[in-house]
This record gives sequence, C-alpha cells and structure tokens, in this order.
Amino acid sequence: MSKNVLKVNDVTMQFGGVVAVNNLSMEVNEGEIVALIGPNGAGKTTIFNCITGVYEPTNGEVWFDGEQIAANHPQGKMKKLYAGENNDKYTKVLRLTPDKITQRGIARTFQNIRLFRTQTVFENVLIAMHCRRKSNVFTATFHLNWREERAMREETMKLLEIVGLTDEKDELATSLPYGKQRRLEIARALATKPKLLMLDEPAAGMNPQETVELAKFIVEIQRQFNLTVFLIEHHMDLVMGISNRIYVIDFGKKIAEGTPAEIQDNPDVIAAYLGVDEE
Amino acid sequence: MKAVKIVLALLLVAAGCVMFAACKGADNGIAGLVERIGASGFVKESHLAENNRAKILKNIDKHLDELTVEGSDATELFLYRNAHYGVALGAFLAALGAAIAVCALCAREKVRRAALGLALVAALFAGLYALETALGDGSMLITVLKKGVIYALIAVSMNLLNGFTGLFSLGQAGFMLIGAYTYAIFTIPQEARAQVYQYFDGGLVQFTLPVLPAIVLAGVAAVVFAFLIGLPVLRLKGDYLAIATLGFAEIIRALFQYDKLGPVTNGSNLLRKFPTFDTVLFPFAVVAVCIAIILLLIHSSYGRAFKAIRDDEVAAEAMGINLFLHKQLSFVISSFFAGVGGALLAMYQTTVQANAFKSSMTYEILLIVVIGGMGSVTGSVIASFLFIACSEWLLRFLDVEQFIGSVQVPLLRSGFRMVVFSIVIMIVVLFFRKGIMGDKELSLSWLTGGKKRKEGAVK
Repeated sequence: MSKNVLKVNDVTMQFGGVVAVNNLSMEVNEGEIVALIGPNGAGKTTIFNCITGVYEPTNGEVWFDGEQIAANHPQGKMKKLYAGENNDKYTKVLRLTPDKITQRGIARTFQNIRLFRTQTVFENVLIAMHCRRKSNVFTATFHLNWREERAMREETMKLLEIVGLTDEKDELATSLPYGKQRRLEIARALATKPKLLMLDEPAAGMNPQETVELAKFIVEIQRQFNLTVFLIEHHMDLVMGISNRIYVIDFGKKIAEGTPAEIQDNPDVIAAYLGVDEE
Repeated sequence: MKAVKIVLALLLVAAGCVMFAACKGADNGIAGLVERIGASGFVKESHLAENNRAKILKNIDKHLDELTVEGSDATELFLYRNAHYGVALGAFLAALGAAIAVCALCAREKVRRAALGLALVAALFAGLYALETALGDGSMLITVLKKGVIYALIAVSMNLLNGFTGLFSLGQAGFMLIGAYTYAIFTIPQEARAQVYQYFDGGLVQFTLPVLPAIVLAGVAAVVFAFLIGLPVLRLKGDYLAIATLGFAEIIRALFQYDKLGPVTNGSNLLRKFPTFDTVLFPFAVVAVCIAIILLLIHSSYGRAFKAIRDDEVAAEAMGINLFLHKQLSFVISSFFAGVGGALLAMYQTTVQANAFKSSMTYEILLIVVIGGMGSVTGSVIASFLFIACSEWLLRFLDVEQFIGSVQVPLLRSGFRMVVFSIVIMIVVLFFRKGIMGDKELSLSWLTGGKKRKEGAVK
C-alpha cells in the first residue's frame, strides 16, 4: 500500500467574489506521476500556488508527507463573501511561506519560465542548493564551508549532466533555447532535493519531437531520484503517455479522476474540452 | 624551471628586504648625516625629531654650496632624498617575489590569482606610500584619495543592497551618521571631553576606546539600528522601501540633534578632538579589508542567494530562499559597512555634525553607484574616485567666476558645479543606464585579455 505524499482536502480559493478553485480534494501517492488537466482558466496553476504557499487558500487544508503545510477557513471580510462549501469544517489556520514548503521537499517549476536571468546556467542550479546549506553567513563569507561548497558544485555538475546542459553551463540562462530553459528549470528544482516535483506545463511551447523527449526525461528522473511527480499539462500525448492517474478540473471544480483510459472515455471531460450541444 | 623561478623569487624577496632596510636606515641616520656635512646650523632640531623630509631637504638644498657633501655622504644624502621611493619599491619587490614563489609552488588557479591579487594590493600600497611622502600632506591628490576611498566603501556597501540584492534603499546617510557619531563619541580623549561637551557638563560617556575597536563599534551601532528598522521596512517593495529608508535617515539626523540627547550626542554642536588619521594608508587599509569581506560575501552561497532575489523574488522563494531573512541580512551587512564608512568620514573631516549627513549625501553615493554600474564592486570603486576627484578638485573651477581678458565667462559662479552634476546624472540615466561597468567586474583575467569568466565557470 503506497502512502499519500500530497493530500489536498476541500481547498477553495476565492479572490474577492471569484471562486478560482472550488472545494477541491485530491491525493498524490508516493512514486506516482499524476497529471492535472483542464481547459484554460480552470484553476490549475492556482492549485499549484496554494500547495506551494504562494497563495493562502480561503478554505481547506493541504498535507504533505504526513504533515499539514497549509490550512485556513474564511475569516474577516471573506466570512460574508465566501461562496464555497464546507464553511465550518476547518478551524485551524496554518500558513507557511514558499521557502519553508520547498525545504520540506516540494519543488516546482513555473508556467512562464522564471530563471535567474543575470546568472549562468551553472549558477542557476547552484543557487537552488542554498536551501540545503548547513553553513551560516560567517562561515560562508570566509569560505570555511569549502567542503560544502565543493560538494554543491560537484552535485550541480552531476545535475547538469543528467539534464544534458553540461556544454552550456557557462552561458547566460536566458540565452538558452526554450526547450533547454525548461530543462534547466527542472534541474534547478531537482537541486532543492525534493520528494515531490511539481511541473507547471513543462511542455508548453515545445514541438512534438521535444515533447516526446521530455516525457522520457520525466519518467527517467522520476525513477532516478525516487520522485513523486505532479504535473499540469495540455499536451494530451504526454499526459496519457506517462501519468498513472489524472485529475480533470473545470471552473475550479473537479469533474473527473482516474487512469488515462478512464479519462479518455469520460463524457464530462469530453464536454468540458469540446463543449456540449445545446439541445 | 621551477627551481629557477623559486630562486629568482627568493632573490627578489631578498633584494626587496635589503632595499627596504637600507632606505629605512637612511631615515634613521639623517641626524648623523646632517652633523657630518655641517648642516646642523640650517636644519631645525624639531624637523629632525619628526623626520620632516620636505623641510629638512629644503634647508639643506638652500645652503648646498656652503656644505661639504662628498663620497659616502653624498650617497647617503641621495638615499635619504629618495628613501620613500626605495621603501615603496623594496616592499613591492618583496611582495612580488613572494607572489611569484607562491605561483611557482602551487599550481591551483585560485591560489595563483589570490597571490597575484595580493601582489597588486602591495604595489598599490607601496605606490601610495611613495606618492604621499613625495607630495606632502597638503596635496589635493592625497585629499581626493582619502575621501575617494571612504566613499568607495560606502558606495560598495550601497551597491550590495541596491545592486546585488535589488533593494532600493536610500538610508545610507543615516547609517553613516550613526557610525560617525558612535566613533566620535567613544574616542574623544578624556581630557578633551569637558571642552567638547561644554554645554553638557562633559557628557555622559566617560571612557575612551582605542581607534580600531571604536570603528568596529561604529559598524555594530549601525547594525543595531538597521536590524530594528529592517523588521518593518523590508516588507515594503520598490519605491516604498526607498521612501521609508529615506525617512528613517532624516529622522535619525533630527534625533541626533535633539537637545535632550545632548549629553551623548552633544546636541547640534560639533563633536571634535577625536583621533584622526594622518596617512592615506590607514583608510586604504581599512577599506581594503572591508571591500575584501564584501567581495567574499558576494561570491559565497549567500551572495548568490542575494543575486537570486534581485533577479526574481518569486523564483528565489520557490527555491527555498527565505526572502525576509536574506533581505534583512543584506540590509544589516550593508549598514555595518556604511557605519564603518561613516567613522572613517568622521576621521577625514576631523569634526562631526549631524547636519552634514543630509539626504544629498545619499544621492551623491547613489550617483556613484549608478555611474559605476549597479552590481559591480569595481565600478563603484572607480566611480567614487572619479566623482570625488571631479567634485573636490577638477570641477572646482566651475564654482569660481572666471575672466578671459576682461570678459566674464558666462554661467560660472558659486553652485554651478552642482548644475553640471545634475546634467551628468541625467545623461547617465538616459544614455548610459548600465554605468561604467554594468554588472561586470574589472578582474585580472579581464585585464590580461582573457575571456570574461564568471565565477565557478573555470573550464
């Protein structure tokens, strides 16, 4: 029996009067590749942001690796405005900043690539090692942590080798072609030594050839690093090809979940993607 | 080959040491020399006692035809006349020899570069020593060097915050003020306190610290304030942070002039009579150490985290970098060095008054940082010397009414210099937004024509 790595319970995210995510629950088990799909504006990235601490959910809770990492219930002005469900179910309030959540073992990439633009490829990955440091500012400044520093650099080289960017390591991160920037973002996320890797549209803007390579790459790193992967994606070939389970959301609500085969035949999903006839 | 190199290096060290000793010896033997050549009548005892080279040589030269300078005495006089060059050259040769020896013995690139860098620093100090002794104390160049190097430290500290961490802070003058006051308050000699604090019964502080601990204390005092200010202020972003820190600096300036605090700060009166430096080497040494520490910090894991925050806060936080902690750290460290810079500025000015630390001082430093290039330490250093040289020396003529023949040159009058500066700022911001250096550094490999290499990227 595999255990839950990520558990989202009744999460609602409401911005003013707009309910972006409505009472959503989902689970991601250890070692799985789970995909989250849905039409544009369905609230996929909002869920990512709720899990990684960028947003504070309006209601509901998030558990990671047996520990609560976010919990909230409507408060203040939101009490009157709240349009979701389960209003009185949760009483605890817990808010962790994104860096704390990353340190617990969730790493993510971004939909619109966010690399450190003045830094080289090598430095981009090296920076992400900072969150696992043991040195303090004094030992780091006077380079008394040279052992750690050397280990960081060696590990960075290893990661770059795995993602195939060794030759470009001294180039500016933003000078890389698009597909390589995506790979670099994944390498940077891996450098934080995560248990759960969250990829926000990793294949966006890639051609079919690159997408196939990416799918292989994701499966490869998932095995190699013993990861659980949770990804948002629009390329159905990629999603159907690599994921163990799929969640489908539309207008913030979960409309289906199951294996790729189940999802492909689900009438609700087809309706959400293609629309329904008026009659 | 290696052995030859090492022997050569050791010879250089030996030659340097001999030269250093000989020229130093010439200094010591001057009293005897003056006696022997019969110049005792012309050279004042007091000049001999304090080894006032300029005065002694001037007096000897004036009566040269009446003196008998022959044989070894002539050599000795020549040595004495040029002793400062000899001392400088000797020290430099010794350092160069040591660097070559290190390079020959150790193949690691890092060590080699460090050795070369140290040799360059030694050359700089040797050059400064020679220059100062040759030009004498009143020289404008020496004044510019003194003030320029102090501004360089403050500009680099501001660059750490603005250029490397991306926090637009304008509180530098406030932290300099705290540093300057802390230094002055704790180093005024006991016997001078009654006179300095004449309106406040000799003041509250009744002990005196040595110079170096007081300078460190100046930095620590700035750190305490920075920590407290940083708690609320660093949650602000962009322009709001600039406004809040600017406000803080103004408040501090007003606070230090508050009459009720007089027993400590001497109210709005001057603080003076504290120890100052008499050689340009002192500020250079302190600033060199401080900038070296800042450079080490920038090249450490924390420095990379700072740059990550500057580039993209959201991504930095998602990579596990605690934004508040690192911003606070950068703010506090920057303030420490601003405080140290303030203490040095107090020593340079010989008096301290809160009114001098206006926000225009912050703007001057901001101008230096922008001209030098946001995110470039060497840029800030170069720009501060340029700026100080222009404002204190080269562009002074703009403030004085000038005549060509009987026609007065238009526009030149008191204050016109600042107009020119304002225009320069506008031109820089409009057309040279990256400043002199951009975010690049002037480094050894760059100077020797090698390809620009970023840290950690040695192929």
